Amino acid sequence: MLISTENLTKSYDLGAATVRALRGVTFGIEEGEYVAIMGPSGSGKSTLMHILGCLDTPTSGRYVLDGSEVSGLKGRELARVRNKKIGFVFQNFNLLPRVDLLSNVALPLVYHGSISRAERARKSSELLSSLGLDHRLRHRPNELSGGERQRAAIARALVNEPAILLADEPTGNLDQKTGREIMSILDDLHSSGRTIIIVTHDSNVAAHARRTVHIEDGRVAHDATNGGATREDATGKTRREETL
Amino acid sequence: MNILESVEAGFRDMASHKGRAVITVIGIVLGVASVVAVLALMRGGEEQSLAFWEELGGLRELRITNTHLDRLMMTAAEKASERLTYRDAIAIGEECPSVSYVDPEITRWLTVTYGDLTYQMKVLGTTGHYPYADEMPLAEGRFLCDKDAETYANVVAMGPTYKEDLFGDEEAIGSTIILDGVPFTVIGVMEKKEFYFQGEGGRSDRNVLEWFNRSHYIPITTMIKRFTIDDRLGGLEVAARSVELVPTLTEEVRTVLTRRHGVEDFNIDAKTERIQQQAEQMVFFNIIFWSIAFVSLFVGGVVIANIMLASITERVREIGVRKAIGAGDRDMFVQFLVEAVAVTAAGGIVGLFAGLGMVAVVEGILGMPTAVTPAILLIAFLCSVSIGLVFGIFPALRAARLSPIEALRYE
Ligand SMILES: Nc1ncnc2c1ncn2[C@@H]1O[C@H](COP(=O)(O)OP(=O)(O)OP(=O)(O)O)[C@@H](O)[C@H]1O
Ligand SMILES: [Mg+2]
Repeated sequence: MLISTENLTKSYDLGAATVRALRGVTFGIEEGEYVAIMGPSGSGKSTLMHILGCLDTPTSGRYVLDGSEVSGLKGRELARVRNKKIGFVFQNFNLLPRVDLLSNVALPLVYHGSISRAERARKSSELLSSLGLDHRLRHRPNELSGGERQRAAIARALVNEPAILLADEPTGNLDQKTGREIMSILDDLHSSGRTIIIVTHDSNVAAHARRTVHIEDGRVAHDATNGGATREDATGKTRREETL
Repeated sequence: MNILESVEAGFRDMASHKGRAVITVIGIVLGVASVVAVLALMRGGEEQSLAFWEELGGLRELRITNTHLDRLMMTAAEKASERLTYRDAIAIGEECPSVSYVDPEITRWLTVTYGDLTYQMKVLGTTGHYPYADEMPLAEGRFLCDKDAETYANVVAMGPTYKEDLFGDEEAIGSTIILDGVPFTVIGVMEKKEFYFQGEGGRSDRNVLEWFNRSHYIPITTMIKRFTIDDRLGGLEVAARSVELVPTLTEEVRTVLTRRHGVEDFNIDAKTERIQQQAEQMVFFNIIFWSIAFVSLFVGGVVIANIMLASITERVREIGVRKAIGAGDRDMFVQFLVEAVAVTAAGGIVGLFAGLGMVAVVEGILGMPTAVTPAILLIAFLCSVSIGLVFGIFPALRAARLSPIEALRYE
């Protein structure tokens, strides 16, 4: 099991009221899976993704990623996990505005350590080229279309060869056609064996995944492989296998 | 990421925010330049007054004067004392081990006649040590020597102003002038001595040392023999063999004179003390100057802080992005440290040159004395760097502690 969570909760203390964004999420994801997370606005999808991406820490519960417990980690160690195991794609791209695509994509390699400058440039330009951006290496993000920016962001998420790719509404800021381009990239990545989790409101987008997890009110409401069978059995079985 | 790479990232980051970096540098430049200028002005004032004292006479000199005594209240011992005499001067010269030379002086206004010209002129009876040959050289001829004193010679060294009055452009050396009816041979003419204070609007016209130029010098023995009834001195200066020996000599002179007079009816005044007093009076001005320097630095600092805060939204976002892809707190810290240090150091260096430029302007146009020392440059530079560090790092450091998601959401 690549990801397994147990009773994850997240509360925001706003003084007057406490917002309970997650109220106990328990689920697992196997290596190589392609999972869509859906649910109404405000249901806690992004909150869950941030915790899975180690961008935020849960209020309580356990989170095991790639065999090691992440929930107790602090600053520096979390930064290493983010750098080495996770690629995160944002709805609004989050590229550094003042540097060109090549530098943007190479940045995770810089923080990875002990990778020579030449090697960083080679890897980054290779990735960008494979995503059809070989003519944009020296351009800054604001000189590019949304689709191009998102492709660059995917390249950046992949450059450290992470165990898992997380994408929070990656097509949310794009038109249909560009959105389909991005989805076909994710599909390719999945067929080459990568584990992908994607949050979306669009059932056409969700249809690309092999499994859809519905979040409602901070809980998993429904979990099914696309095409019918609910997941309850599958996950239950895996858990039993583990305990054996 | 290793330190070197963090440093490199810092520089690359700075290069991508040129506007921010430039304005920060300007803030620092202004601060440093004004500190340099202010300190150089302070130092210039100090050096000018030191230079004045040195021109006036060596720092190793003591001036001995008679204490003013009220005739009606004098004690028997005080009445019995002869006060300062030429014999005291000789005794000091013979008995005080720390003494370099003794310079007794008796001044009289005498009638000077040359051809059909007659003037009242100030004549100083003195020894060969006055004035110290190297500090007050002669325009021509020679000065008084010990032999002149021993032989009661009728010789005179003329002040340059009087030489002009009497001889104009004619040769004076070897001529004879009459002092109160006694013929004297001119053996030398003093070099003109000048010192002008610099002030607002440039050099003042008043030569504060003109009184030197208006004196004649004859051997003190001749003065006593021909023109006075006793050997009481108008003034007595005593030089120590070095500046360090001034306090020792003061005690030696006190002992000798008290023994000879039977009472301490004299003052011993070290020039170094007067300079010190003057330095104490300067403290007030120094405080004002320092305040100005501090204010300019502070203004520079506020400029920097402002830039840092203005760009904080963009910065915090950037922190969020970098942390999201694996930058640690330390990486962020080093990046900002590099930026702050580089910007302030660059600003500091440019500021030093700008400061030197301001100093040149102040000196050249306003005509105020200035002096730049390495210490001034160092102080200004260190101030700028610490200001840059405090104002530059602090806000960014606080932002660097946010979690990646908080930073990404920052509005
Ligand atoms: N920083 C925060 N402080 C307070 N409340 C928050 C914060 N972040 C999220 N929330 C609240 O937590 C709940 C879940 O938010 P989240 O962003 O996870 O929803 P979402 O499912 O991603 O919604 P959407 O589909 O609109 O993106 C919401 O009610 C939201 O208001
Ligand atoms: Mg969301």
